[in-house]
Amino acid sequence: MLHIKNGIVIDPKNGIDAEKMDIFVKNGKIVEESEVKGDVKVIDASNKLVVAGGFDMHAHIAGSKINVGREMRPEEMRTVRLVAGKFRASIGRVLLTSPAIGYEYAKMGYTSAFEAAQPPVGALHTHEELDAIPMIDKAALPVFGNWHFVLKYVAEKNWEKLRTFIAWAIERTKGFGVKVVNPGGVEAWMYGGNCKSLDDEVPGFGVTPREIITALIQETENLNLSHSVHLHCNNLGTPGNYETTIESMKLASKFSNDRRQVLHVTHVQFNAYSGSSWRDVGSGAAEIAKYVNSVDNITIDMGQPIFGHATAMTGDAPFQFTLHKLTGARWSNKDSEIEGGAGIVPIGYLPKNPIHALQWAIGLELGLLVDSDKVVLSTDYPNGGPFTEYPYIMAMLMSRKMREKELERVSPYVQKATGLAAIDREKTLFEVIQMTRSLPARVMGLDSKGHLGFGADADIAIYNFDPLTVDVTNDFETVYKVFKTSAYTIKGGEIIAMNGELVKEVWGRTFWVDATSKVEMEAIESDLDEMFSKYYSLERQNYGVEESWIKKPERLVMG
Amino acid sequence: MLILKPKFDFEISVEAEITPALALATDEEISNYQVYYGKDKAKLSDLFEISREGDDAKLLLDGDFSKVKWIGARMDEGEIVVKGDIGDHCGAYMTGGKIVVEGNALDWIGAEMKGGEIEVNGNVRNYVGCAYWGNMTGMTGGKITVKGNAGNYIGEKMGGGEIEIMGDTGDFVGTEMKDGTIVIHGNCGFVGGDMKGGTIKIKGNFELVPGFRKVEDGFEGDVNAGGKGKVLQL
Amino acid sequence: MAEEVNIICTFCGSVCDDVQFDLEKFKGKKFCKLGSSKFSKKERIKAPMIDGKEVSYEEAIEKAAEILVNAKRPLLYGWASTVNEAIRLGVLLTEKVRGVYDQCASVCHAPGTLALIEEGVPGGSLGEIKNRADMVVFWGSNPMEAHPRHPVRYSVRAKGLLIKDRKDRKVVVVDVRKTKSANMADLFIQIKPGYDYPVLSALRAIIKGEEDAVPEEVGGVKKEQLKELAEMMKSAKYGAVLYGLGVTQSRGRDRNVENAIKLIQLLNRYTRWIIWPMRGHYNVVGAGEVPAWEAGYTYAIDFSRGYPRFSPGEFSANEILQRGDCDAALIIASDPAAHFPKVSVKHLKKIPVIQIDPFPNMTTLLSDVVIPSAVAGLEAEGTAYRMDGIPFRVKKIVDTEYWSDEKILELMLEKVNELQR
Repeated sequence: MLHIKNGIVIDPKNGIDAEKMDIFVKNGKIVEESEVKGDVKVIDASNKLVVAGGFDMHAHIAGSKINVGREMRPEEMRTVRLVAGKFRASIGRVLLTSPAIGYEYAKMGYTSAFEAAQPPVGALHTHEELDAIPMIDKAALPVFGNWHFVLKYVAEKNWEKLRTFIAWAIERTKGFGVKVVNPGGVEAWMYGGNCKSLDDEVPGFGVTPREIITALIQETENLNLSHSVHLHCNNLGTPGNYETTIESMKLASKFSNDRRQVLHVTHVQFNAYSGSSWRDVGSGAAEIAKYVNSVDNITIDMGQPIFGHATAMTGDAPFQFTLHKLTGARWSNKDSEIEGGAGIVPIGYLPKNPIHALQWAIGLELGLLVDSDKVVLSTDYPNGGPFTEYPYIMAMLMSRKMREKELERVSPYVQKATGLAAIDREKTLFEVIQMTRSLPARVMGLDSKGHLGFGADADIAIYNFDPLTVDVTNDFETVYKVFKTSAYTIKGGEIIAMNGELVKEVWGRTFWVDATSKVEMEAIESDLDEMFSKYYSLERQNYGVEESWIKKPERLVMG
Repeated sequence: MLILKPKFDFEISVEAEITPALALATDEEISNYQVYYGKDKAKLSDLFEISREGDDAKLLLDGDFSKVKWIGARMDEGEIVVKGDIGDHCGAYMTGGKIVVEGNALDWIGAEMKGGEIEVNGNVRNYVGCAYWGNMTGMTGGKITVKGNAGNYIGEKMGGGEIEIMGDTGDFVGTEMKDGTIVIHGNCGFVGGDMKGGTIKIKGNFELVPGFRKVEDGFEGDVNAGGKGKVLQL
Repeated sequence: MAEEVNIICTFCGSVCDDVQFDLEKFKGKKFCKLGSSKFSKKERIKAPMIDGKEVSYEEAIEKAAEILVNAKRPLLYGWASTVNEAIRLGVLLTEKVRGVYDQCASVCHAPGTLALIEEGVPGGSLGEIKNRADMVVFWGSNPMEAHPRHPVRYSVRAKGLLIKDRKDRKVVVVDVRKTKSANMADLFIQIKPGYDYPVLSALRAIIKGEEDAVPEEVGGVKKEQLKELAEMMKSAKYGAVLYGLGVTQSRGRDRNVENAIKLIQLLNRYTRWIIWPMRGHYNVVGAGEVPAWEAGYTYAIDFSRGYPRFSPGEFSANEILQRGDCDAALIIASDPAAHFPKVSVKHLKKIPVIQIDPFPNMTTLLSDVVIPSAVAGLEAEGTAYRMDGIPFRVKKIVDTEYWSDEKILELMLEKVNELQR
């Protein structure tokens, strides 16, 4: 049991903005004072900020992609963070080993991180790696947008089968929701092509990205899953693509859900370029922000690039090949049964490179211009760079002065091609806490996360600064430093890190969503048998992950 | 000058990142200088007999150092003389000074070196002046001279400097080389794959990989890398 | 009625998962020769032993823990024929005793890993080859003998989405001799031993339109024939190069694979091609994947400084043994005494050796501590990765007195922790 005394609490979900309060913890949950009696550990949080643990809802932290990244980049693994002793050895520059991922999140005050793209046939591998990440809670989003079952049912307009298949697939992969990556485009890549517009036809199926996205939103909503469709748009990384992004967002307009958004568009920075070529490329962030702010059924995350090393890894295989051709860098690709594909290419963001600086500025524009209850802070780790630099993004959003200073060191192209320099807006600490805690929890549909109300998971971060006295717009250096390492990180009621040092190794839960009771599996039984025997190279009976194989599974039954 | 002699035959390899700068340290600092002996950290004086002659920045390694790795790595000035054989990574990343190995050297000699000189009287094994795994560029400056023979992978991804092998070498001379010069006085195997720039001069027989065109004074390629490297007969 | 169950074969990298096993007859349907020999009643190591004397599991494991803790630089080698759960404990154990982790790939397919570091690997799963590949090139690989069911299940005669018939697919074998696999090929190209690298360079130059930089004959192959092959490759819709030890364990090694990958990169500018290694042991992929997520690298990992470092040719098992650079060894699911050069075996004989294996082999004879284990896929379950990285949970279908590798290593790790405390 814990008593966190006299902290200055910011808890956006419960409308608490820098109020001095006490927080009580029992059995891993936040409880009322009356429930805490006897042997209570008191943490003096006087003049300290107390918030919910951070929640990274979109990162590539487990599975074949990040692991191939590690394997192809030994130069990434030579940074030593911790020598083995009480804790595991921890290494990595931007790409980290599994223990390092858990440790670094914990040190920063983050307590949950979700793997954003799980190749379904590789689900067991993803779960093995999630199980190797200590400290945090986790989950994985299986990828749907190029899976032949989906393409087939969309072509047949058989919504019952599509819905049933979604429930089957999430159960089999022990996944959390419906991730869609370049719908149709990755199937086209198997023929050397791509689907760059929403109306490009997917070879062999006669369907379009427009139809795939719409159908997946429709059936995800019919199942009323915890999380909405999570979309990596078509045409990523191309000048002029912001229009495709807005067009994709509009596909959600006829759907609504009073609990959450019906479409989450991810790492939008990579899909927010105006212009017609790399010569006249500019920012489409303002137009995207205008659209997102005007509707109440869409959320996004930033995909903010951080200057320095990064590794591009996505299920968007054709884009990864384009990137390889553009930079000449190493390129890994994986075409995966009849489910889609993926690619991996090392990249770096240089402040003086006009394109990189543009990407950096667009990410910030999105973070600033989009309402704080609609934009989640992310780097799309490791695509935009390390998650350990989230404090940099937080500080930048809160301080125009810091942005002005940073703008001096980046390519002047940014001044011409983006509106960043003219943005006065400074997000408040309350808003930044919202963007890193309560909003991602709401986007994922997890009521017990991202806040400090009674009954919430006791995932708490305490930072060494007093929001009542620190001026976040002027003291941006302090803000950056303070958010890099928490004074305390508490996970499930246990202190796991203090002042940047690990205290205790704990193992978080793996959430997965079970919607099977909402469908009749009979609807797709014969299709499953047929597709497996014809097009898979493994038996249907050996496909998927059983709950008992996962270290600490937590099933969320969709009612 | 600081003189080191192994106290006994090392059972397993020793990692000793020592440079001539050590000769300028106090006796106590030298004696306590940390080296690695398997999982155990050891003091330099646990493994070596230490003596001094004069006070110049020079190391004399007297005896069999073939199980001792990383000698002279990152050194920037001074001199190291190895009386016998030397282990892996000798002179890696060095920027200046001189290393003379009177015996043979193992792998990764002068890897990613930027300046200075390395001379080996005997033979060397593989990865001479190469880039470490995952890195883009091998040696960029300085000179490596080998009086004997060399193994495979010579000057891969080399970005500058010179490698001269008096004897024969194995395969993959100057693969993905960008700049600098490699001179082979003996025979060698595959030469020049994906060469982008720089010059390779060979006296003996060699096997030029496809991708080179005959030009006036030799060959130019590799066309597969859009390269303008030169391979010349000495 | 005899009970038949589905099993997943734990012999080669094909990891065939369609085998029906008759428990009473102890025989499987659909097995190839290699699989059925593994899943038959074979001679086993009877009991745990220290210096040839039978002891309990606990005693043997305690002794093993002592050896590892007392060593300055223990080598923990093998891993390719056990499951991920055991491999993970092996990596943790190596980190604890600050030893060297290495696995069987370092003497077979590790050059492919090095090529991955240089260029990445444009690949695909076996199902994609079955569904789409209208051209398959076996380069220095001999599936008919090393992966007998691969051609039927995945590559040569497999039917799928776009490939409805054997005639829809061109099969090419490139090798230094006419192998059994060459007999099933539409085209066989014989190259001079040790000349894979220049042949690949020549193909790249031809495809790039720079054929004037290619001599009339390369590696024993006429330029005309190379042009023919290049044209076939360029006009395929979806091709796959499946390479084997002929490429990785002959002159050129990792550079051969790197050159082949560069060829595939180039071909993808015109059409779709993938490349993939024909991995040998059933979980040699896991033996690389698990340490990659736990410690950043796939093999040749030294933990002497308390954190992982990677250096093939320095920390790989054979190199370490040849140089006499370890003072104890744990050998699991492997037989270096039979397969390593004499000088390496000589060093193994000099140092304390712990063996964990279901079956007796040459290494058993020189081991001080022998710990028999259950056969994964038959007597123990766990995760294994097929050659294309697709994970399977291999099954336990019969009971045994033998401990699983996982259980043995769990206790060994516990004992090491106790001794270090």
